[in-house]
Amino acid sequence: MKTTTRHRGLQNFAVLRKAAACCSCILFSVVCLPAQRTTSRENQVKAVFLFNFTQFIEWPASAFNSPDAPFIIGVIGNDPFGNYLDETVAGEKVMNHPLVIQRYKDLGELQTCHMLFIGQEDPQKIKTILDVLNRRHTLTVSDYKNFAYSGGMIRFYTQENKTRLQINLSIAKAAELNISSKLLRVAEIID
Amino acid sequence: MLKLLIMRTHGRFEWIRLPEFCLLLILVVSTEMLSAQKNGPFSPRELKKLSVEELMNIEVTSVSKSPEKLTEVASAIQVITNEDIRRSTVTRLPEALSLAPNLQVAQSNSHDWGITARGFNGAPFANNTLADKLLVLIDGRSVYTPLFGGVFWDAQNVLLEDVDRIEVVSGPGGTLWGANAVNGVINIISKNARETQGWYASAAGGSFLRDYAGVRYGGHVDTNFFFRVYGQRFDQNSTTWIDSTESHDAWHMTQGGFRMDYVPGNSNTFSFQGDFYGGMADTGNTIINGQDVLGKWTHRFSENANLSLQVYFDRTWRDLTASDFSEQLSTYDIDLQHHFPIGSNNQVLWGAGYRMMNDEVENSISLTFTPAERRLQLFNGFVQDRIMLVDQELYLTLGTKILHNDYSGFELQPSVRLTCTPSPEHTIWAAVSRAVRTPARFDADETTPFITTRNGEFDSEKVVAYEIGYRIRPVQYISFSIAAFYNEYDDLRSINLNDAPPPALLFANDQQAKSWGLEFSGNAVLTKWWRLRGGYTFLDKRFTAKSPAVFSGSDLFEAIDPHHQALLQSIMDLPGNLQLDITGRYVDMLPGLPSVSPQISAYTTFNARLAWIFREFEFSAAGQNLAGKRHGEFGSREIPRSFYLKGTFRF
Repeated sequence: MKTTTRHRGLQNFAVLRKAAACCSCILFSVVCLPAQRTTSRENQVKAVFLFNFTQFIEWPASAFNSPDAPFIIGVIGNDPFGNYLDETVAGEKVMNHPLVIQRYKDLGELQTCHMLFIGQEDPQKIKTILDVLNRRHTLTVSDYKNFAYSGGMIRFYTQENKTRLQINLSIAKAAELNISSKLLRVAEIID
Repeated sequence: MLKLLIMRTHGRFEWIRLPEFCLLLILVVSTEMLSAQKNGPFSPRELKKLSVEELMNIEVTSVSKSPEKLTEVASAIQVITNEDIRRSTVTRLPEALSLAPNLQVAQSNSHDWGITARGFNGAPFANNTLADKLLVLIDGRSVYTPLFGGVFWDAQNVLLEDVDRIEVVSGPGGTLWGANAVNGVINIISKNARETQGWYASAAGGSFLRDYAGVRYGGHVDTNFFFRVYGQRFDQNSTTWIDSTESHDAWHMTQGGFRMDYVPGNSNTFSFQGDFYGGMADTGNTIINGQDVLGKWTHRFSENANLSLQVYFDRTWRDLTASDFSEQLSTYDIDLQHHFPIGSNNQVLWGAGYRMMNDEVENSISLTFTPAERRLQLFNGFVQDRIMLVDQELYLTLGTKILHNDYSGFELQPSVRLTCTPSPEHTIWAAVSRAVRTPARFDADETTPFITTRNGEFDSEKVVAYEIGYRIRPVQYISFSIAAFYNEYDDLRSINLNDAPPPALLFANDQQAKSWGLEFSGNAVLTKWWRLRGGYTFLDKRFTAKSPAVFSGSDLFEAIDPHHQALLQSIMDLPGNLQLDITGRYVDMLPGLPSVSPQISAYTTFNARLAWIFREFEFSAAGQNLAGKRHGEFGSREIPRSFYLKGTFRF
């Protein structure tokens, strides 16, 4: 008796989730269109930087299950890019890995990804996310002020109206990520 | 389409045809518009083509958002970008200024120009033009001379490749910018050393520009410390007199310099730069040389609070060997600026500065300044508050500048500005401001056999300016702006007949003037391969003499300006890595001032450039002033039609 109820409860939950997903799809398309148009130039540039990171950083082969497994770019927390990031990576590949965007609402949804943009300002939440990712081959990117000083790898910031990068090289190295000198020479390196 | 325009025009196209051309243009373009919306310059496809360095050079916030620009929003500002310069035929700084639709730029000989905003291009002479109501800053260094209040344009050269942008504000910038910003401010801003990494080498040769060579190398010591060094040299041929004989004003200039940028962390930036130059002009066998160094420190307290300190030294020397006149000017300057918010509705900007100018002349028989050596000191302070009256929509900016100079003592330059932005696409602004031009040595110290100033007493020239403007961005890649102004000038320089000669003439402050006009400009990214920018300016004025002694022609001595002028620059990427760029310019008739400057007839001229990009190389062929064999712009000399070939390497 008890099990049946629980089972039905789960079923109901699944239906609810589907309905919610459908609703959010419709809502998303409505909300997203204007949102996409208002993706600021700043975030457009950052989105293209995320794509460039896949070209200028080398991931170890062990980060992929197979030679043609997807390269996953995750976005957790606030997503400032809208559709722009999807348009940026559409049809693109790294070696043989097609680029795929995944969005995680919060930590509970977080899955294995090769790059993670953290749209968070709360240092405690950021620390938890970084702790979860520890020892995985995930490049972590954020706008958060002390990101590169508190366990993160790449931080975006704006200086004189232009996008700049801070890179914590030792943390990236610990995750076996090999960053090209082309990227390093334009970034501020933090050890 | 461009062919059509040229075909119709038989070499010298008529301005009257342009409206038709514009109509046609709109028709063709409207079909392209939708795709332009989708695939504009910031589409993922376009941005992905850029290198990491180029991506880092994109300005990510609009001008109005960055705190240091707040003051300029409520003004008639035009920006010439590095790309606008690169995609034109200009080879030198004054030519680049002709790309600003709100400036009156008239070339008077091979090495000098009359450049002003809202009129008052004064009489052209062999070595300088008496345009004295503009403040010109190169990376914060003022380059107008206290000798006559204007700019020796031949000495102002920069490596155009490393110019980030040129901001041109028409209208008084007196509150913030200091003395001499009566009719406008030109701000030439060079790139950070970080943005000019690697090699640039360019060489050109042609008919008017005889030869040009420029090279720059940018490197870095570590990831926070960047530098660049550059050098350039050019030889420019002579213009001709109206009867087409050579006018012997060929010249050449060699210049070098450096810039270092050090960014140790998030809150501090340091920059240090310098230049040296030397050259010679055949006009009066003039020898020119100079050096300058400038250091700047900026500290950021937060997103909208910062402090900057700037110090510079500038020495410039010219010797008119033919007439035995020489001038050496040494300038020492220190400026402090502090910007901070009070609560959420007030943005305060205040600053203070001190400048010492040592001006030494060696007098000739015909040009004499007394005393020959003069030390001029200029103190200034300013404060401005930008108050948000309605959230994100209505701003009131109140400010004033106080300055003290050796000739006219204390001067007050207040302004009130109101900005309304009902939506991000629309800005309406209005301003009332007062500005002064402090006396120059030419006004007060000149003691020639023909003209002097009684007891050296010359007051500052004053203006009260009323302005109103509207800026609109109807769709993302198209913007227009319009500004109208009404200026009332008092105590303008006059040439009076001396009732007790000698000398026969006197400088005095006995003229008044009213001027009014309209400035329209637009910028449109029509398709991903075609961009247009340009504008139209209307200008009119009326002088009144305050004394019967004022010599007739005194008004033209101060202001020889066109009523109408227009500019259209077309920047086009063609298939096969080709670029086709055309700039057209129309300037209305200029009145003549007997024995100084003949009447100049209205002219339309255009410059064209065809370039081919091959990897790191760029090869271009350019033609300047193609509409006629030659034309006069200012004074008695004529500018020839000319061509040059250029090769550029960037790595």
